[in-house]
Amino acid sequence: MNASGIKLGLGLYTTLFIVFLYGPLAVLAILSFQTGPEGGPQFPIIEWSTYWYKHLFGLTPPSRIAPLPIEQALVRSLALAVMTMIVSTVLGVTAAQAFRKRFRGSGVVFYLIVLGMMVPGVLVGLGMALVANTLGVDRHWWGTAFVLHVVYTFPFAFLVMLAIFNRFDPSVEEAAWSLGVTPARTFRKITFPLIFPGVLSAMLFAFTLSYDEFSRTLFASGRDLTLPLAIYGTFSVEVHPNVFAFGVLTTLFSFALLGTYAVLMGLSVRRAKRMAIQEEA
Amino acid sequence: MRRGSWPELVGTKVSAVLQLKNVHKAFAGVPALAGVDAALMDNSYVSLLGPSGSGKTTLLRVIAGFEQPDGGEILFAGRRIDGVPPHERGIGFVFQNFALFPHLSVAQNIAFGLENRAVAPVTDAKAVAARVRDMIGLVGLTGLEDRAVTQISGGQKQRVALARTLVTEPSMVLLDEPLGALDANLRTRMRGELRTIRERCGVTFLHVTGSESEALAMGDTVLVLDRGRIAQATDAGTLYSRPASADVARFLNCYNIFSGAVSGDVFESPVGRLALGGVRQASGRPAYAIRYDRVAIRPRDAAAAGDEVRIEASFVASEYSGAAINSFFTLDDGRVFEVETHLSHAAPEAFEEKARYALVWKREDALVFV
Repeated sequence: MNASGIKLGLGLYTTLFIVFLYGPLAVLAILSFQTGPEGGPQFPIIEWSTYWYKHLFGLTPPSRIAPLPIEQALVRSLALAVMTMIVSTVLGVTAAQAFRKRFRGSGVVFYLIVLGMMVPGVLVGLGMALVANTLGVDRHWWGTAFVLHVVYTFPFAFLVMLAIFNRFDPSVEEAAWSLGVTPARTFRKITFPLIFPGVLSAMLFAFTLSYDEFSRTLFASGRDLTLPLAIYGTFSVEVHPNVFAFGVLTTLFSFALLGTYAVLMGLSVRRAKRMAIQEEA
Repeated sequence: MRRGSWPELVGTKVSAVLQLKNVHKAFAGVPALAGVDAALMDNSYVSLLGPSGSGKTTLLRVIAGFEQPDGGEILFAGRRIDGVPPHERGIGFVFQNFALFPHLSVAQNIAFGLENRAVAPVTDAKAVAARVRDMIGLVGLTGLEDRAVTQISGGQKQRVALARTLVTEPSMVLLDEPLGALDANLRTRMRGELRTIRERCGVTFLHVTGSESEALAMGDTVLVLDRGRIAQATDAGTLYSRPASADVARFLNCYNIFSGAVSGDVFESPVGRLALGGVRQASGRPAYAIRYDRVAIRPRDAAAAGDEVRIEASFVASEYSGAAINSFFTLDDGRVFEVETHLSHAAPEAFEEKARYALVWKREDALVFV
């Protein structure tokens, strides 16, 4: 095969890849600008409008289409994601730190942790519901569902941190100890700043996985629904483009999160570079 | 300050800053340290020479507290420190890879120990800055204070690593192959600088190296570590001219060594009977050693004098190193014999490849181990 053939093939492959990756998102974004309230979630676009965005925030005149019942659910989901993010990241960092030394039974513990992301979510959710019923514990998004979210996201944070520690040079810690600095202070002043990019990645993983978790939450969250459950609930009646409008806004929020992550990551790198530039100037 | 005020005990000055007594350490059953005994004098430069795998890095890490010994005692400034965590030992450590804190600048690296140590941290920013400035001046890093440590050269990193340790005023600094990561030119220059800096600070340096020339050049005392034991501890001159065993002689890389046995007035070696004349040293394993630069190369038909030893060998090649020329010969048993001729004595002679020559030395120049 000649070079231009390869180029063509790779181009085609890349195009298909992008179409499959972003096609659904693009369709969703386009349909969210359908006119309302008579326009439905299908092509063709009758007329471009921002009706459904206004509808989300209750800025449209009352019609037969009820507003999305997501206000409470959104707050719950965000709170749950933040709680999960904090707990899973702390657990992930400390567990990975423990794994830097081969302790007795570390192999078993490793698989026990990783099991949390391997087992089917529906089964774990159902299991949690049964256990809660048996023990007489009420199911809540901040209780039973929260535990399951941590069990699910902790392995991701743990694996990220394990990879970070794998590349970490322990002699910088030994150097700090030999200067008379306690191990605890060494961790805070030396180890943590150096692994911070990894900690950010672990946080991002835990947050996003928890935010759109469905199957585990379905059985374990009890009466008050989280956002994915609330949205799923609206599908059982009739789908309107307001869901798409909401999807677009959620995606923008995710981009904002990623942007924050990128800025935080870039800060430390830029600081180092700035020092170098000052020196050369 | 502390230097001058060591306690005097009934007329005997307590001057050993570090004492090792029968220190053992094994990794998964394989012994790395097999009973190390040593005493390091206060305010001295000690080099620790050993081939790779001799346990020298392990010994250093045990002294620093990064590894726990399986047995034995370590006394530092009269206090037992085995079992004491590294940050409570007061022993500095300079790593081969420098192990600088990559997220801190040069000045921040040096200030780190002063500001963060558990015992007597310096909290006054001005006091820290003053001491950091003095130390930066001492190691010759002035002007690089705000540079990121990822943006400086190897030699500069070396100085930061040293300054970071010295500024906390430890009584002893352990240096793990500190010149190993530098290029040859810089290595020679840093040798002199390390000695000067040490003298100015008055601390004890324990410098681990695998290079015999570095060990001899740096150390007031040279410890030779062999298979987890101290094989010899003496000054550089004695070590070079009187190695304690054939193994030590081998590390020095300047002796031709024959195995065999002493019988009466001769040494029975694979290349023949070598007449004895010099001192004999007890070492446990009989061997015969002659320094490269004590051997003369003569034509095959030249006769040997009465006090000389003579063997024959074929010339292979020679290597010119400026001040000296090293000639390589093969003996009848196939082993290589090296002769070093200093060119200040004579112009280099041309030898014919594969031709046979007489190699001659004085009987008393040879070292005989019994």
